[in-house]
Amino acid sequence: MKMTTNAKTHGIDISSLQREARTLDLDTETTTLKVRDLRLSYGDKEALHGINMDIPKKRVTAFIGPSGCGKSTLLRCFNRMNDLVDGCNINGQILLDDNNIFDRTVDVADLRRRVGMVFQKPNPFPKSIYENVAYGLRIQGIKKKRDIDETVEWALRSAALWDEVKDRLHESALGMSGGQQQRLVIARTIAVKPEVLLLDEPASALDPISTLKIEELIHELKNDFTIVIVTHNMQQAARVSDYTAFMYMGDLIEFGVTDTLFTNPEKKQTEDYITGRYG
Amino acid sequence: MKVSFTEWTKSGSPWVWLNAGAVAICVIMVVGLLSLIAVRGLGHFWPADIQQATYSLNGEKSRVIGEIVESEQVPAEQLRDAGVIVPEGTLMMRRDLMKIGNRDVTGTDFTWVLDNNLSERSNPEMLFTAERREWGNFYGYLRALKEGDKLVGQYDGYEKTPEYVALWKGFEASIERALIIRKDIYQIEKHEIGSINYELERLRLKQRALELKEVSDPAPYAEIEARRKELNTSYEGLQQSLIDLYTEINRDTIIAEVSGGQEIDIAVAKIVRAFRPNDMSVGAKLIHYAEKIKEFVSDDPREANTEGGIFPAIFGTVMMVVLMSILVTPFGVIAAVYLREYAKQGFTTRLIRIAVNNLAGVPSIVYGVFGLGFFVYFLGGNIDRLFYPEALPSPTFGTGGLVWASITLALLTVPVVIVATEEGLSRIPRAVREGSLALGATKAETLWKVVLPMASPAMMTGVILAIARAAGEVAPLMLVGVVKLAPSLPLDANYPFLHLDQKFMHLGFHIYDVGFQSPNVEAARPLVYATALLLVAVIALLNISAVQIRNHLREKYKSLEM
Repeated sequence: MKMTTNAKTHGIDISSLQREARTLDLDTETTTLKVRDLRLSYGDKEALHGINMDIPKKRVTAFIGPSGCGKSTLLRCFNRMNDLVDGCNINGQILLDDNNIFDRTVDVADLRRRVGMVFQKPNPFPKSIYENVAYGLRIQGIKKKRDIDETVEWALRSAALWDEVKDRLHESALGMSGGQQQRLVIARTIAVKPEVLLLDEPASALDPISTLKIEELIHELKNDFTIVIVTHNMQQAARVSDYTAFMYMGDLIEFGVTDTLFTNPEKKQTEDYITGRYG
Repeated sequence: MKVSFTEWTKSGSPWVWLNAGAVAICVIMVVGLLSLIAVRGLGHFWPADIQQATYSLNGEKSRVIGEIVESEQVPAEQLRDAGVIVPEGTLMMRRDLMKIGNRDVTGTDFTWVLDNNLSERSNPEMLFTAERREWGNFYGYLRALKEGDKLVGQYDGYEKTPEYVALWKGFEASIERALIIRKDIYQIEKHEIGSINYELERLRLKQRALELKEVSDPAPYAEIEARRKELNTSYEGLQQSLIDLYTEINRDTIIAEVSGGQEIDIAVAKIVRAFRPNDMSVGAKLIHYAEKIKEFVSDDPREANTEGGIFPAIFGTVMMVVLMSILVTPFGVIAAVYLREYAKQGFTTRLIRIAVNNLAGVPSIVYGVFGLGFFVYFLGGNIDRLFYPEALPSPTFGTGGLVWASITLALLTVPVVIVATEEGLSRIPRAVREGSLALGATKAETLWKVVLPMASPAMMTGVILAIARAAGEVAPLMLVGVVKLAPSLPLDANYPFLHLDQKFMHLGFHIYDVGFQSPNVEAARPLVYATALLLVAVIALLNISAVQIRNHLREKYKSLEM
C-alpha cells in the first residue's frame, strides 16, 4: 500500500495505463537475448560490472536508471555498436538464439541487420523518404523494384507513417518534422525485418504528441519484434513496457514485470529512484 | 559634445573603424586592379582616330600620320642634351608616343613627338588603317587598286569625293574576296592536308614499328605502301587546288601613299581588314569593336602573338585545368578518406598530415622541376621506350605536354583537396554513420553510400581552391609543356582526338611572353592587359561553375541540424 502511494505521489497512475489484462511472468517467457556475466570497460574504467539477464521474446523491455548508469552502453552491446568506440573492452557473453554474438565467426553486419537500432536523435539519411527505407534492403542486395516497393510500403505502414508520406515518397526526408523523422527511422529499421529492435531514448528529442505516437507504435510493434527500450522517462517506461530493468552505476539492480517494479519494488535503490529521491 | 579619447576607445568605435578600413582597402585594391586591366585591355580594341600633322624638329618639317597612344612630360634640359632646339624658359615639355605603323617602310611602329611642335593637326576622313598579316598596321591614303597588272581604279586627292569613295568600295570588295579565298586555303592547309600529314606520320611510325619488330612478311608493308600512295595522290590533288587558290588570292594589290609621300604596293591577300576610323560613326565603331573582341577570343594569334586572338591559349588553359581537376579529385579524396577513416590516428598519421599540409607551401617552380625530372624525363622517357620506340629519337611523351602539366599541377594542388575533404569528413554527424551501420551496412558501404555523398560539398570546396591555384600558376608550366605558340589544339578531329602528349598554350604564359619576350613590346602592351583580364575571367568562370556544383550538392545533402 505504501508503495502505491509513493507511485501516485510521483504522478504515475497505473490504473490509467492502456494495457490488456494478462499475467506476465519472466520465468515462463521464451528468451531472445541472454546476457551472461557481461563486463565492459572503457580503457581502465569499468562501465558494466557483470550483467546477467534474459530478454523475453516479443515483449517490450525497458531499461531505466540515472544518467551514466550504463543502460545505453548495455543496449549498444546487443548490436555491437560499442565496437566503434576506441578502447572499449568487453568480457562475457550475449547469446542471440544461443549463439554468442561476440564470437569471432559472427558477421557484425549480419548481426546488426538482425538486431536493429533506433537512436535518440532522428538520423535520416540525406536522401528521399523512399530511399531511406530502401537503404537497408539495397545493402542486402535486393534489386527487384517490386520487392523493394512492397517492403517500403509495409514498413511505412507499420510505422504509421504511410498515410502522411505516401504522396511525397521521393522528397527529401530532411523536410519532415522531428516526430515523422523518428518514425521514418523506425520504418527504416524494421524494413530489414530484424528480430530485435533496440530503441535508445527514441522520444527524448520529440514533442509530447510525437512521443505519444511513438509509444503507440511501440505497442503495435511488439507483436512482431522483441523490443528493448532505454528511457529516462519513467512514465514512458511504465506505459510502454512489459518488463523493466533498473540499472545503477553499471549494475543491474532489479529486473521484473513493469507493474510490480513500479508498484512494489524489491530493492531500496529502485524505490528511491522511482520515487524521485535521486536520478 | 566633446567625448574624451578614453571614452571613444572604450566605446569600441576605433575597432569598427579599423576593421571597416581594412575591408575598404581590400575592396578598393581589388576593384582598382580589375578596372586598371579592364580599361587598359579593353581600350585597345577601340578604333582610335588617326591624326595627320606637320611635325617640325630643329627646323625640318615632315608629315606624320598615326594614333597618339600616350603622353608624358619630359624635362626640357634632357631634350636639349639630346640636341633638340627647345624655346628658352621652358622647363617641361609634353611629348606623345605615336603609333605610326608602316614598319616595312620606316622600320619602326612607334615614335615620340613633341606635342608643341605638331601643327596643322587634322583627322582626314580618307586616311585608312589596314591590319596586315605581317609588318603590323598600315596607315596612309589609298591611291590605286590593281587586278593583276590591270589598273581598275585610281585617285589622287585627299578629299572625300564620290570617286574616292568608289575606289574605296572596290578595295573593300577585294578584301572580302581575299578573305573568302583564305578561308578555303585555311580549310585545306589546316584540316585536309593536316589530317593527311597526320596519317602519313602514323603510317611512317607503323612501318618503323614493323621494322623494329623485324616482321618479314611483306603484306603489311605493302598495305602501308598502298595507303601511302593513296594519301600522296590526294595530297597532290589538294596541292594543285592550293596553287590555284594562291594565284587567285594574290591577284589584287593596292597602291597606297604613306606619310613620307612615297607610294608603296600592298598585296590585298596580306590585309586582314581595312577601315577609315576618322569617317566612322559611333555605331560603326561599336560594331568594329565587337568584331575585334570576337577575334581576340576566338582566333589564332598572328605576328609573334602581338596581333590576332588568343583562342588556343584560352583553350589550353581550360583544358589543362579540367584535366587537372579530373586527376586531383579522386586522388585527394581517396587519400583523405584513408587518413580520416581508416588510418589509426596516431603519431605517424599526424606526421603525414603535417607533411601534406606543408606540401602546399612548396614553391611552385620546385614542382615544375620535379615534374620535368620525374614525369617528363623519367616516366615519359620510359613510356617512349616501351610504347613508342618507333618514334624515337623524337620524343612522344618524353617531352613536356598537356598530361605532364596537368599531373604536375594536380600534385601541386592535392594537399588542398586532402585538407578540405578531411575537414568535410570530420563534420559528418556520428549519428548518420551509426544509423547506416545499425542497418547492417559495412563500413565501406556506409562510406560510399552515406558519408562520401554528404562530404561532397567539402570536396568541391577543395576542388575550387585547387582550380583557383592551378589556373593562375605559370612557373611550373614553363618547364613541363607550355609553349609560346602551339601549332594545333590538344583536342581535334584526328584520332585519338585528345592529344595528351601535345604541347599547349596557356594564358598566364601568354601574358609573360607577349609582354616581355615579344619583338614589339610597345604594340603588345595593351594585349598584356587584355589577356590578363581574360585570364581573370576564365578563372572566375571556372570557379563560378565549381561553386554552382557545390551549392547544388549542399542543397541536396544539407547536414542534419535539429
